[in-house]
Amino acid sequence: MENLPFYQSHGSEIELFERAWRNNLPLLIKGPTGCGKTRFVAHMAAQLNLPLYTVACHDDLTAADLVGRHLIVDGQTVWSDGPLTRAVREGGICYLDEVVEARKDTTVVLHPLADDRRILPIDRTGEILAAPPSFMLVVSYNPGYQNFLKGMKPSTRQRFISLAFDFPSAAQEEAILIGETGIDEMLAKRLVSIANAFRALRDHDLEEVASTRLLVYAAILIKDGCEPTLACRAAFVETLTDDPETAVALREVIDATFGL
Amino acid sequence: MEEYVGELWHKLVTRVADKQHAEAAVNLDEISKTAAIFFRALGGDAGLNLSAAASTRHGARRGWRDRLASSGERIELSWRDGETLRLPEKIDLFSERSLNRDMYLWLTALSAADVDDNLPWIVRNQTATLATLTRFPGLVSRYYRLVGALLLLRTLPSKLPIEEAAQESAIRQALQQPGSIYDLPTAKKPFQPVLLWTHPSPPVNASNKVSSSDGAPEREQSDDKNVAKSRRKHAAERTDMPDGKDGFLMMFRAESLFSWTEYINVNRPQDEEDDIERAALAAEDMDTMTVARDGETSVAKLRFDLDLPSAGEDDTPLGEGIPLPEWDYKKQVMQPDYCRLQEYVSPQAQPCELPTQLRRTARRLRSQFQALVPTRTWLKGQQDGDEIDLDAWVRQEADLLSGTHADGRGMYRAQVNQQRDLACLLLADLSLSTDAYASDHARVIDVIRDSLFLFSEALSATGDRFAMYGFSSLKRGNVRFNRLKSFDDRYDGLARGRIQAIKPGYYTRMGSAIRQASALLAAQPQRQRLLLLLTDGKPNDLDRYEGRYGIEDTRMALHEARQQGLRPFCVTIDNEANEYLPHLFGVGGFAVIRKPEDLPKELPLLYAQMTR
Ligand SMILES: Nc1ncnc2c1ncn2[C@@H]1O[C@H](COP(=O)(O)OP(=O)(O)O)[C@@H](O)[C@H]1O
Ligand SMILES: [Mg+2]
Repeated sequence: MENLPFYQSHGSEIELFERAWRNNLPLLIKGPTGCGKTRFVAHMAAQLNLPLYTVACHDDLTAADLVGRHLIVDGQTVWSDGPLTRAVREGGICYLDEVVEARKDTTVVLHPLADDRRILPIDRTGEILAAPPSFMLVVSYNPGYQNFLKGMKPSTRQRFISLAFDFPSAAQEEAILIGETGIDEMLAKRLVSIANAFRALRDHDLEEVASTRLLVYAAILIKDGCEPTLACRAAFVETLTDDPETAVALREVIDATFGL
Repeated sequence: MEEYVGELWHKLVTRVADKQHAEAAVNLDEISKTAAIFFRALGGDAGLNLSAAASTRHGARRGWRDRLASSGERIELSWRDGETLRLPEKIDLFSERSLNRDMYLWLTALSAADVDDNLPWIVRNQTATLATLTRFPGLVSRYYRLVGALLLLRTLPSKLPIEEAAQESAIRQALQQPGSIYDLPTAKKPFQPVLLWTHPSPPVNASNKVSSSDGAPEREQSDDKNVAKSRRKHAAERTDMPDGKDGFLMMFRAESLFSWTEYINVNRPQDEEDDIERAALAAEDMDTMTVARDGETSVAKLRFDLDLPSAGEDDTPLGEGIPLPEWDYKKQVMQPDYCRLQEYVSPQAQPCELPTQLRRTARRLRSQFQALVPTRTWLKGQQDGDEIDLDAWVRQEADLLSGTHADGRGMYRAQVNQQRDLACLLLADLSLSTDAYASDHARVIDVIRDSLFLFSEALSATGDRFAMYGFSSLKRGNVRFNRLKSFDDRYDGLARGRIQAIKPGYYTRMGSAIRQASALLAAQPQRQRLLLLLTDGKPNDLDRYEGRYGIEDTRMALHEARQQGLRPFCVTIDNEANEYLPHLFGVGGFAVIRKPEDLPKELPLLYAQMTR
């Protein structure tokens, strides 16, 4: 427990996670990218002393990528467990990040694990694994309406209890920056104020908003001796927009915060 | 004679002044997009428009005029009302361009500050200044640079009579030490405008007698909504209003030209209602038409009625139709069963063939769109799949035998079938504005008609499920919903006949039409459901459904659509759409077709891109 990843709690999510784990309930975490979902799961896995298998989901992810496959070794076929299977065998946490990116025919393998059966049938070997009590399935996704055409099937979604994450309050986000990078409080305040100014532009001027992750990047650059407005431009402006006039406005916000 | 000389003199002064810092001038046009984003980033209301302020006559003594570069006795003040943030059209006060630009940003930042509007004007501005400087410490040095430069342009208190000197000293102190002045001493002459501050409402002819001791301009002048074409509020050059000596503090230009849209935006007193309505119908809600209103008195009177629904309006029985709610953003409440929507089918529609001039394009589109039809293909070298990939297997065996390291490629062939599981409802604006000419030979409605034809041709080639409706409205009791093709109708001669028969008429109550379309689309079983809105302008209707009210109701209707899992997208030919569509559809949620004649070809292509 010495190597507990730093995690600044927003509310009752730690308690809820523990309850879900103790009661064998699968968990869905939704929230914008970079708001601490992955960090939270890493923290909880360490806290509960469980092995963690993380899978970043994408278009081409197949059921075999999750469950496992036969490999040919020296002319012989050898079965190799996928991360999901390993997490089930070891009674750990399997975390599927951005689960809506995976195709539907891939995510169906989760169904028998995500309800009270808690089993994982492995078609290719004929094995049926029963998940031990300590196994937990956690999935996350970003509900921005850009994902509408992807969406999550209600039949999948309704198997999970859900936690909604959003960007933390200003005070919490400042604490995250300080805890994560060791910058001083004044600088943390200014960075968070810039991020919140940009977040007000969500949907209207910017498709993406500044994540806590980007704030951490800016703080790291400044900590390294980078001039603050330069660091903020690199971390925010150029990452968030390609439109020159929008970029000018974002830079004005940065200058208005740090001064010229 | 005196007037004539006065005019000459006026021209002279303005011209001289215009030259003064012309090279350093910053125009609102150059900075408006930046300023608008800056405003929203600083917490300003995202629903506001940004627009040029009308020049206002200030009544301050002449010394001020001489010193105030470029503005002469007319001056553009900044203010904000429920719909619009107004900034001067041009700032050339200072010889340094960067100062003029900073002034825009300062005014923008100040307007974004969340400060109680009911505070006395001078207190409000100081509070806003403090709040802005606290949140954005980077502005502190710029602010004081601006204050320093501005004070040089103002008449020194020592050069003014006692009362005015006291006023001026207070203003100076409020600028230099914001938060230190609690009220503004009164004087007979109006004080010199404070260009670094905003005004709580359009500055008007508040006389010293009526104005409260704070000296703030009264809030009674109705202003417009958006001045469509030129961002500028036009104000007539001449005025026969009494001069400053009558105790007018700020004189709004008497004869304003209100564009038609803003004119009908005002909620008229009941007796004028009929005339205006007739006139409005005659004018066919065209933005371009302008109507002169004589004098600010009648305008000011109209203002009093703004937002009070006139009695007659609410008593009108709504009649038959599907009841639909409407969102009132001012009260932040949903008004249940507030509108009635009637679905109808054009009675004159006769089955017909595709118009000949469209046939070639239709053929091309059809073959393009057939490419979107799902086909099953085999992928090789997959890690997982239905069959062994023999090629890969053989290569692997050979590699192993020859001692080469296997490349780890998959051994399977997988069949992929990107099933299109898609339903689309196209909702076309058929309001009277579509009667306008889009080009030399076609009206907007003709462009829309062709678009509907080609869209149908293309979609029937994909096999995607689709429906098409047109809409218009005449007040909340008559939202007209024209069924061209329902999801269950076939795209056949009769559907084409209905498309052929579309006609422009009435107004644009977008929210109701979207709600009905959403209900129909949400009943479809497909996983991806696209709501395509085809339009030429903003929401508007006669009974207060204009300006922000209409926009916010539409926004709410779209929000509801998203909540139902639908994906709304807007295709428009309105070149000013950037001012309001992001607020409604989000940045990635709409496309503006610059040349309306391109719409028929662009629409199917857009659809293809979105659904690929
Ligand atoms: N609550 C938090 N506590 C500690 N660090 C956080 C927190 N939220 C965000 N972070 C920081 O932001 C980064 C991105 O968070 P991450 O968990 O990867 O986001 P997500 O998985 O939601 O996309 C982390 O690496 C960490 O530095
Ligand atoms: Mg219209």
